[in-house]
Amino acid sequence: MGERKTVLVSGASRGIGAAIAVDLAAAGYDIWLNYHSATAAAQAVAERVVAHGGRCTLLPFDVADAAAAEAALLPLLAETVPYALVHNAGVTRDGVLALMPREDWDRVLAVHLDGFFILARMLTKLMLGRREGRIVAIGSIAAETGQAGQVNYAAAKAGLIGAVKALARELGRRNILVNVVSPGLIDTEMIAGLPLEKILPLIPLGRVGRVEEVSGVVRFLLSDAAGYLTGQVIGVNGGMHM
Amino acid sequence: MDATKTKIKEILVNDLKLQGVKAEEISDSEPLFGEGLGLDSLDAVELVVLIQKHFGVQIADMEEGRKAFASIEALAAYIFEHRA
Repeated sequence: MGERKTVLVSGASRGIGAAIAVDLAAAGYDIWLNYHSATAAAQAVAERVVAHGGRCTLLPFDVADAAAAEAALLPLLAETVPYALVHNAGVTRDGVLALMPREDWDRVLAVHLDGFFILARMLTKLMLGRREGRIVAIGSIAAETGQAGQVNYAAAKAGLIGAVKALARELGRRNILVNVVSPGLIDTEMIAGLPLEKILPLIPLGRVGRVEEVSGVVRFLLSDAAGYLTGQVIGVNGGMHM
Repeated sequence: MDATKTKIKEILVNDLKLQGVKAEEISDSEPLFGEGLGLDSLDAVELVVLIQKHFGVQIADMEEGRKAFASIEALAAYIFEHRA
């Protein structure tokens, strides 16, 4: 690779986001690593990024807070326009809708959708002039199949699918490709405590996925080989949803 | 003022990569969008970024943009007015 390209990954201190940051570093990208509060975990990811030869800029801010995002990103954007945005930041606040506190609804929508709006708006404004770019939002099988106890999370992830498809149409003629990667059950702390013995029979591959099996798809979507792929929802779910 | 107009035309041709248009062929009065030069809404966003970069002038919203992008003449006047 000639000039190193930069990718902003949101929510990259843990789980799938961390794997994406490391995988992309191994593929030759520099990483702007956003996280909210897990500083020690983020620093550990940054070390792995650097070990793979990538530069890593730690960006601690709440993606739902526009002022915080601007304070962190605008100085960097004056120097560098990222090639890609991977909006992975997400939270769950599970519970049946009838008993769901309003703040659990608001927070889950804010991190996923306000976060996408804030980051994608700031970056695409500058990516337009480059005539190339990639945006990947991390969705969830919960948005495609529905999941009891996750009305907020499913709504937020489904919202990302609509946003991505609309944005893919908006930016297609500037060669900026926008897609969703929609993981099923992946081995992260987010699925700790689930009754796997009941769930595994529903998965044709008979196992949960590894974070590298999600990050590898993101890496592909950022590659030249994925140059004709936009507006799609790529399921990475072991066949659990087809 | 004339220098500003020339600079704007160069930005349009070089940075917005207008196909088959030469800077000296762009008239001062023709509309930049729709009929006229035929720029679109994404060009408008790019132009906002470029005007800020080259002239340090911020076009805050598309309401302002509509006035500023009426023509080369209007844009040059807008830049002249708002320059620090």
